[in-house]
Amino acid sequence: MAEKHHIRVRLNGVDKEADVEPRLLLVHFIRDVAGQTGTHLGCDTTNCGACTVLLDGRPIKSCTFFAVQADGREIMTVEGLIHDGKLHPIQEGFRQEHGLQCGFCTPGMMMSALALLEKNPEPTEEEIRWGISGNLCRCTGYQNIVKAVQYAAAKMHEGVLV
Amino acid sequence: MIQTTSPEIGGMGHAVKRKEDARFIQGKGNYVDDVHLPGMVFGHVVRSPYGHARLKSIHIDEAMKVPGALAVITGADLAAAGLAWMPTLFHDKQMVLATGKVLFQAQEVAFCVATEQYAAADMAELVEVEYDELPVLVDPHKALDPDAPILREDREEKSNHIFHWEVGDKQGTQQAIQGSPVTARVDAVFQRCHPAPLETCGCVADFNPVTSKLTIWLTSQAPHAHRTLFSIVGGIPEQNIRVISPDIGGGFGNKVPIYPGYVCAVVASLKLGRPVKWIETRSENLQSTGFARDYHMTAEIAADRDGTVKALRVKTLADHGAFNAAAQPSKFPAGLFSICTGSYDFPKAFCEVDGVYTNKAPGGIAYRCSFRVTEAAYLIERAMDVLAHQLKMDPAELRLKNFIPSDKFPYQCPLGWTYDSGNYAAAMNLALKMAGYQDLRKEQAEKRKKGELMGIGISSFTEIVGAGPGHTFDIAGIKMFDSCEIRIHPTGKAIARLGTKSQGQGHETTFPQIIAQELGIPQQDIVLEEGDTDTAPYGLGTYASRSTPVAGAATAMAARKIRDKARKIAAHLLEVSEEDLDWEPGKFFVKGAPSKAKTIQEIAFAAYTNLPEGMEAGLEAVHYYDPPNLTFPFGTYICVVDIDKGTGEVKVRRFIAVDDCGNIINPMIVEGQIHGGLTEGLAIAFMQLISYDESGNVQGGNFMDYLLPTAVETPHWETGKTCTPSPHHPIGAKGVGESPNVGSPAAFVNAVVDALSHLGVTHIDMPIAPWKVWQILREKGIT
Amino acid sequence: MAVRIEKTFEVSEPIDQCWSLLSDPRKIVSCVPGAKLTETVDERTFKGAISVKVGPSLTDYKGEVRIVRLDEQAHVLELEGKGQDVRGKGGASMKMTGTLEALEGGGTRVAAVTEVTVVGILAQFGGRLLTDVSDVIFKQFTERFQQKLKNPDAEPQGASEPVKAVRVVGSALGHSIRRALGGSDES
Repeated sequence: MAEKHHIRVRLNGVDKEADVEPRLLLVHFIRDVAGQTGTHLGCDTTNCGACTVLLDGRPIKSCTFFAVQADGREIMTVEGLIHDGKLHPIQEGFRQEHGLQCGFCTPGMMMSALALLEKNPEPTEEEIRWGISGNLCRCTGYQNIVKAVQYAAAKMHEGVLV
Repeated sequence: MIQTTSPEIGGMGHAVKRKEDARFIQGKGNYVDDVHLPGMVFGHVVRSPYGHARLKSIHIDEAMKVPGALAVITGADLAAAGLAWMPTLFHDKQMVLATGKVLFQAQEVAFCVATEQYAAADMAELVEVEYDELPVLVDPHKALDPDAPILREDREEKSNHIFHWEVGDKQGTQQAIQGSPVTARVDAVFQRCHPAPLETCGCVADFNPVTSKLTIWLTSQAPHAHRTLFSIVGGIPEQNIRVISPDIGGGFGNKVPIYPGYVCAVVASLKLGRPVKWIETRSENLQSTGFARDYHMTAEIAADRDGTVKALRVKTLADHGAFNAAAQPSKFPAGLFSICTGSYDFPKAFCEVDGVYTNKAPGGIAYRCSFRVTEAAYLIERAMDVLAHQLKMDPAELRLKNFIPSDKFPYQCPLGWTYDSGNYAAAMNLALKMAGYQDLRKEQAEKRKKGELMGIGISSFTEIVGAGPGHTFDIAGIKMFDSCEIRIHPTGKAIARLGTKSQGQGHETTFPQIIAQELGIPQQDIVLEEGDTDTAPYGLGTYASRSTPVAGAATAMAARKIRDKARKIAAHLLEVSEEDLDWEPGKFFVKGAPSKAKTIQEIAFAAYTNLPEGMEAGLEAVHYYDPPNLTFPFGTYICVVDIDKGTGEVKVRRFIAVDDCGNIINPMIVEGQIHGGLTEGLAIAFMQLISYDESGNVQGGNFMDYLLPTAVETPHWETGKTCTPSPHHPIGAKGVGESPNVGSPAAFVNAVVDALSHLGVTHIDMPIAPWKVWQILREKGIT
Repeated sequence: MAVRIEKTFEVSEPIDQCWSLLSDPRKIVSCVPGAKLTETVDERTFKGAISVKVGPSLTDYKGEVRIVRLDEQAHVLELEGKGQDVRGKGGASMKMTGTLEALEGGGTRVAAVTEVTVVGILAQFGGRLLTDVSDVIFKQFTERFQQKLKNPDAEPQGASEPVKAVRVVGSALGHSIRRALGGSDES
């Protein structure tokens, strides 16, 4: 077995340190070592996006990233969306617009949506669909997810989130 | 007549926001893979690379050297405990771990257990298995050839033929066909595909050696049935098994069967006395768990020259893979396929189905199919379009001409079903209006002159759900009732538990709305639980769109039992007789003196504090509902496509979906179900195929090759509705979850064929990938 | 999953020298990266092994090669081989026809037509990876063949080491990407 590496990852604003095998995937580090099970695994070929998290603000598929590569870096997952007990506009949007059914794709979907809106605060519908095209959903048919993102965009535009 | 309740009460018809969302949007769902128990270890399955081979030997020494290795279970180990084979849900058995031979690529051969997940996978890589290859059978049409390899040596009859099933009037249909001036025929393959819910299957099996209790966290759409089957098959007393289906990340029928991985995890847990977690990978999910369809169908419609249909004859070859693990009611080897006369008034019909074994993954029933109704609806809607084009008749007109008239319900169809209610013309006309159908046809004619390819496809489906009445329906012997238990607390709040299990359908929100409708208790005061077999009343689970028809009915009936008792308490409190009371949602009041009233909350409190003489305390009820019939949701879908002549790419420009599911509990949730089902139908029509090459290698066994639509491919869905309640259902509801997947594939295919019909194209098999269309265009000289 | 590969290459050595190398399994095996002969069953039948690494996945095949036809006049060699992964992850079988043609000016053209059938996990990735991996293996074969012609007694570089992981996948992927982007088939 390969030697373990000591890593320190800033996960949702809190430092998490552990000794990990070099081959440990980031998604397993987040779920099993850090115990944050909001990020999900939906496939084994990096196609589905259920594992999407933000790495230094950019969306990545945590199933195709090693935990050791995240040493010294910042990760944000779905658990980091809530702020002072208040839901993020994206979370509100998904609830208001019925943008989820089984909930399994939702964490990854929201992280992609967040990254999209931070880069492009007023996206068109086409831009939203392209922006979340790395996240598969089996339940909703995406129509209400688009509305959820539009809701969030409008809310964020209002400056509700300080 | 459903009364309307106030938004505060939130009964039927209100678009109440979902209660379950709170945990999902915060990443606090509790899916099986989120379960962590002290001392938990991990399992990984070793799988056959061969489609058909003798199993010569298994060597586990290298695997056991992996740090953390605990055990390797093989078929021989299970055989010693009589567990190497287990019954399927349909009169067959399947190997849990292979003994003697393997019958499909990815079949389970051994189960490795280690203290760490990665170590278990390392072990699986090091297990050495020796095989002797055998000739492979992957073409179902060859399964009954005299020189076909016989796959199932364990069966008495040495043949690849599983069953022959027929229904209807064979002679009468034959005569009608011979006597009719027009016959339209279509050979349509509904390809093998897979439901691929985003969460794969898995379990945590936790045997506690101190209490002898086995708890299984399980991705199960039918936790009670699974508990009973685990008990019978495993010889474990049923009171010592607890199945917990926590949050399920999508089911679509994939989580109805019992898979070898579950059994192995249970055995490992029993052996080791610790929790064993087994979660399959996506590749394992696609390659070994319950697939869908693989129906090779022929339909012949006999008609008069004016388009009036006279007879329908259907012949189907069903490929079930290596074991018949189809999950369907026990008397129906082809599920509810005999709904294939659809929305049309056929005087005569005959349908026969033959099932065969091949070297492919076992199963057959899945993917939002209502037990083969997807296949049936696809076939009849394709056949009607073939007839329409043959007669040069407008496909909408042909359908309207042949619809079962709305005054002919309950309707006895020639294949045995009694349709409860329907108004097909209303749905069709609404869809035509929403689509602007006449304008679309004009546009198509103009485009055709310019050589542009535009198509309009219609599908007017009727489907059959809500299985089912006890006299006809059972799964593995268990009758298909369902249940609801409601308990009202002293402060007028309530808890209800059902025998169903949501995998995203929103039961925590919708079933309280039924109770709110019946009792006037605000829906947010009602907690709904499902999935824990220790607490929920027995039910057959959620699939085949049965929750609303069966458990929804049980909920209404249980609530009405409570209302009956509440009336007695109210009479006592108001010091009048029961006949003097009237009801409106939330309160009983004295007839003619509405200010003399008691709210349901006051009554609930009294149930614990101030009861009539001799009455039992409490305010609760349970009801097990045996539906008198199935329900028949229906609709009309219209699809508009444009085809790129250069690439063969089909773009869905518009899709209009008019659904009729009777009375609606929560329109927001119904609309979400429609969007989701249409998207799955789109995937099936254009993108999805699980196939096997001549050596038995599965193609389409991972998400690189098995395609799911993203937000980019998915068009905007335009939805509408009509409402024809079910006369026999307590709240007039029919269920709707699968309708969009039942009705849409034909709409998509009809649209593409319609776009090319002027070139002489009459049928294209799914998935309609661009290369298929491109090839046709080239053949026809179109560039 | 059957893949058909047709390859041709030219060497400056005369036809008889090439034939002498090509027709002797004990000599030619050292040209196949990752292969070795383990047993001579008879004149025409040999047992052997080959290791192939695709990405991180190392597969050890054990099997048999049979000379079906050896025509010294026409300079045609037909081989049939069949092997199974030692851990039971799958198998492969192969039919190869090698033909030598004397060139004007003294050299030789070597033409090989090979049909490979793969069963198992590798086959699930489809023909796309198989063709490209075979291309890379063949390229290394031609290099070693040419080396061995020039130095009959020396062991070619890296004789029985498995075809190296990263290089095979890297070049195979490079191949695929170039092809997909409309690049030429020549590496």
